[in-house]
Amino acid sequence: MKTSKLVNLQEAIQEIRDGDTIFLGGIVEDRRPVAAAMEMVRQQKRNLILLGTCSLSDDILVGGGCIGAYRGCYTSNGAFGISPNMKRAAESGSIVIDDIGHLDLGIALMAAQAGAPFIASKTCIGTDVLNPDYDNLSKVTEIARNQDMLPNKKYILMEDPFFGMGTVQLVPAIKLDICICHVQMVGEEGTVRIDGSLTHDHFAALAANKVIVTAEKVVPESFIRQDPNRNCIPCTSVDMIVELPWGAHPGQVYNYYDMDIPFLQEYANMCSTQEGFIKWADEWIYGIKRHEEYLDKLGASRLEKLRALPPYGYVPRKKGGVK
Amino acid sequence: MTKKYAQIGEYTPTEAMVAHAARFLSNFNGKKGLIGTGLPLVASQLAKMIYSPDMIIFVETGQADANPQELPISIMDSRITYGSSWQMGDPEGLYPLSRNEIDFGFIGGAQIDKYGNVNSTFIGGDYNKPEKRLAGTAGAVDIGVFAKTTVILMAHQKRRVVDSVDYLTTPGWMVKKWPEGTMVRREELGMQGGPSCFISSLGIMKFNEDDKIMYLDQYFPGVTPEDVKANTGYDIDVSRATEAEPILLDEIRLLREEIDPLNIYKMR
Repeated sequence: MKTSKLVNLQEAIQEIRDGDTIFLGGIVEDRRPVAAAMEMVRQQKRNLILLGTCSLSDDILVGGGCIGAYRGCYTSNGAFGISPNMKRAAESGSIVIDDIGHLDLGIALMAAQAGAPFIASKTCIGTDVLNPDYDNLSKVTEIARNQDMLPNKKYILMEDPFFGMGTVQLVPAIKLDICICHVQMVGEEGTVRIDGSLTHDHFAALAANKVIVTAEKVVPESFIRQDPNRNCIPCTSVDMIVELPWGAHPGQVYNYYDMDIPFLQEYANMCSTQEGFIKWADEWIYGIKRHEEYLDKLGASRLEKLRALPPYGYVPRKKGGVK
Repeated sequence: MTKKYAQIGEYTPTEAMVAHAARFLSNFNGKKGLIGTGLPLVASQLAKMIYSPDMIIFVETGQADANPQELPISIMDSRITYGSSWQMGDPEGLYPLSRNEIDFGFIGGAQIDKYGNVNSTFIGGDYNKPEKRLAGTAGAVDIGVFAKTTVILMAHQKRRVVDSVDYLTTPGWMVKKWPEGTMVRREELGMQGGPSCFISSLGIMKFNEDDKIMYLDQYFPGVTPEDVKANTGYDIDVSRATEAEPILLDEIRLLREEIDPLNIYKMR
């Protein structure tokens, strides 16, 4: 008999331990597990090692003091500026940063997914990403709960022995304790369907020991299995499911809703100082116990304006979107 | 179409930069480009409208032949997904680069040096405690390494256009050979490509054939070669420069009314 994977958000987040290596799905403001990040702040997670990127949901974790170290390739909220909490933490030296390349992030997750120890690339050849003076991997490892999750070297250079493509770097696999994805649809047994960019989710979920999926909709497994080619993560790789409509607000979810631009602008403005972040978090995180309260506070009319219009998957500007 | 020119003062330096970048993209009509976030997205929208309608856009968040119907807000935006030929994830979005399929990459940045190396990671201070932390590598590294050529776009200021970047994010013509960090020609590390030009808010810079140092090729109307010299952090050669064609009223109208009516990209 199958055990149900359906849990509430609090229960799912309780599975995350301090010092875990974590990856949050989606990218920039698209399909980010924002509600899950807010619950992590509420539960006061500490010394997490953030892999991947640091934009909306991840930046909330930095502001909430959850992140000890970051290994990734992007610390920006796109048109809303550099991720404000990360910017402050970096500039005060209070967070360990180890920059890696974007393609290298993807293929290192792919290596973990394939069970391969490393993969060869030319992505960062010639750049300061490979500067030994900026190699903070050992400082990252010190913070990790399970140090075996991190490689013992950032990279090794060698000459391509097969095709004579010059210098290549051997990039170690990126292994994860936890992967949290926010998706459009999940079956009751955990089969995931994503619309729009898969970002790194289809690799990261298979590179993680534990996968938490928050979804706009939980549907009967038999329904999602009618078209398995459209599914992106198999049920066998998903451990916990949380039904969480609007769980990526103020970001967007393709075919469901668009960005809440005023909310994102307010976040960018307020979080330029730690006091501002605390004020913002008091209102939107600490002052709220459950996601439903967050939605009530936003109000139905505000959310309705964000609802995507078919066939676009977003709200076109000419039809009232993005103000 | 008769060309009606805008007067100096009727547009901002950023709008001029974006319009000239869109014109430069006419070199890539029918070619495949990987477009970076920020103003390159804006300029590619303008190029598609008037200079390069058959340009094929790839984006690092996994879209092939993207045809956004309105300006994307970020590098992953539902606006890029809708109407694209193919939507996968970030790795698949970057593979066309590492497969050597991409004819040109188009990026912004925060600092550029005389060899066209671009910094989008940090400025000032130390890596572990920078004065100003920026976005990091994102697609900028991948584009600079793998695209057959790159086009670079950023505001022209003395602290941005420098002798040597604080952090080498996107490789230009002279790059770092590790573990020593010696500066070598990119070909020495088996890298193809290299930047073809830097389009700034003052003019268009290109690279010498022999030593690959950046020189002023064109200055925008209202700007003098001396202005470029005064706003450049190394002794830039301006002796070969000519004045660029003025900005068209149509370019400004499209940018303001059609492409970014809400001024999301703060061009004005």
